[in-house]
Amino acid sequence: MIAPKHILGTFDEALASLRNNVLMMAGLTERSLERAMKGLFNRDDNLCANAIADDEEIDQLEIQIDRDGVAILLRFQPVASDLRRVVSAMKLSSNLERMADQATTIARRARKLNRHPHLDEVELMRPMYEHAMAMFKDSVDAFVREDVDLGRAVVLRDEKLDELNRVASDKLVARMAKDPDQLRGYLNLIFIGRCLERVGDHATNIAEDAVYAAAAEDIRHQTHAASV
Amino acid sequence: MEHVDQPVEPPPADESVPACTFQVKNLSIWYGEKRAIDNVTLDIASNAVTAIIGPSGCGKSTFIRALNRMHELVPKTRVEGTVLLQGEDLYLNDVDPAIVRRRVGMVFQKSNPFPTMSIGENVVVGLRLNGVRDRKFLNERLEKSLRMAALWDEVKDDLHKPGTSLSGGQQQRLCIARALAVEPEVLLMDEPCSALDPIATAKIEELIYELKARYTIVTVTHNMQQAGRISDYTAFFYIGRLIEIGPTTKIFTNPTDRQTEDYITGRFG
Repeated sequence: MIAPKHILGTFDEALASLRNNVLMMAGLTERSLERAMKGLFNRDDNLCANAIADDEEIDQLEIQIDRDGVAILLRFQPVASDLRRVVSAMKLSSNLERMADQATTIARRARKLNRHPHLDEVELMRPMYEHAMAMFKDSVDAFVREDVDLGRAVVLRDEKLDELNRVASDKLVARMAKDPDQLRGYLNLIFIGRCLERVGDHATNIAEDAVYAAAAEDIRHQTHAASV
Repeated sequence: MEHVDQPVEPPPADESVPACTFQVKNLSIWYGEKRAIDNVTLDIASNAVTAIIGPSGCGKSTFIRALNRMHELVPKTRVEGTVLLQGEDLYLNDVDPAIVRRRVGMVFQKSNPFPTMSIGENVVVGLRLNGVRDRKFLNERLEKSLRMAALWDEVKDDLHKPGTSLSGGQQQRLCIARALAVEPEVLLMDEPCSALDPIATAKIEELIYELKARYTIVTVTHNMQQAGRISDYTAFFYIGRLIEIGPTTKIFTNPTDRQTEDYITGRFG
């Protein structure tokens, strides 16, 4: 349901600007993660460098969103759904910034891997990457469309990502024992796996904030038993 | 160690169901042909602040005036429904409105100390009108009321000066002291800060917070932020009807009714 406009047009403009900046930040973060992971899969240092360069713009957007959010709180003292949207937008930007930091870490690790012969185990990262990115895109969609069901569904998908990471880590640790010459390479892949797992955690946070923004419901830190 | 019998503590009250000072049932009020309040039913929690919000003309002031029968001062007023104060129906034929107004005090939008009276006389005028003549008692109640209204320290050396010599904020606290002097059970406030500057407003808000430990307070306000700051419960009225009442944090973060949401977020009209 589309809310009617505020009597104060400048309030609508400020909220729209905040939302646009969040969407832009989400788009840049998605691009940065894609570049970092393609840099890994395609052994492309340029893509890795671009991913690292994206971080600066994302950091600036985080500052801008925080500044705009505080200004809205100060000038318009929003309540109800407006308040929830502003608070969620500010929390979203913090999660996006941390995701972009994960992209930077992935890109740096990928560049290190690219200096050495190809490891087949890089492919262990692909299902994790696809799962984490799908969670990320859906969490942002849940926020944009105020889709409570989608937000809840994203939260439930985090466990599978954790499991994928556990399986990949176990395999990489086993490979380290058998192939100690490539120890650094396997270690870098373990760190990349951990970064993807963290991306899933941030997507979960975004999905939880999306549910709060849409329905004023705090679904954080609920065990499965409690949420069923 | 010697055993000492401890007094038996009463069981804790069920906090999920607040005690109610007022129970309003199917209240409708007409001014002539115009229905100002339309079938309102709500409970007002004891020792809590309930804020009444809503656009101009929605019946906020009429509603709180109905809680001490003050609206009857307007000619051609008609009331249907019941207003129970501590379980007693205020609108029974044998109930004296003057007694109701002593039990349910009121503070108005504009401070209105009696211009010919001193600060001290203003505070105890209600007691004098009720026949109290004991000077010691009046002096004690004067100091107690001014202390509760957080005004004593500012006026204790000037009690003989005219009430109108005080600043706007002090005058409003003087009116609160005057209302408290007759020891009411409830304090009604109709936009008590709308004519005050931010400092005076903050003092009244602080006072309201302190007074709710002893009194049930119902306040009308146009200031959403003030309602959010000072009240425990918020009721939203629109065109004479109660649209929604609930805990203030709930109303201001996730109101149930779309009309409440649109009003408090500034989308109305």
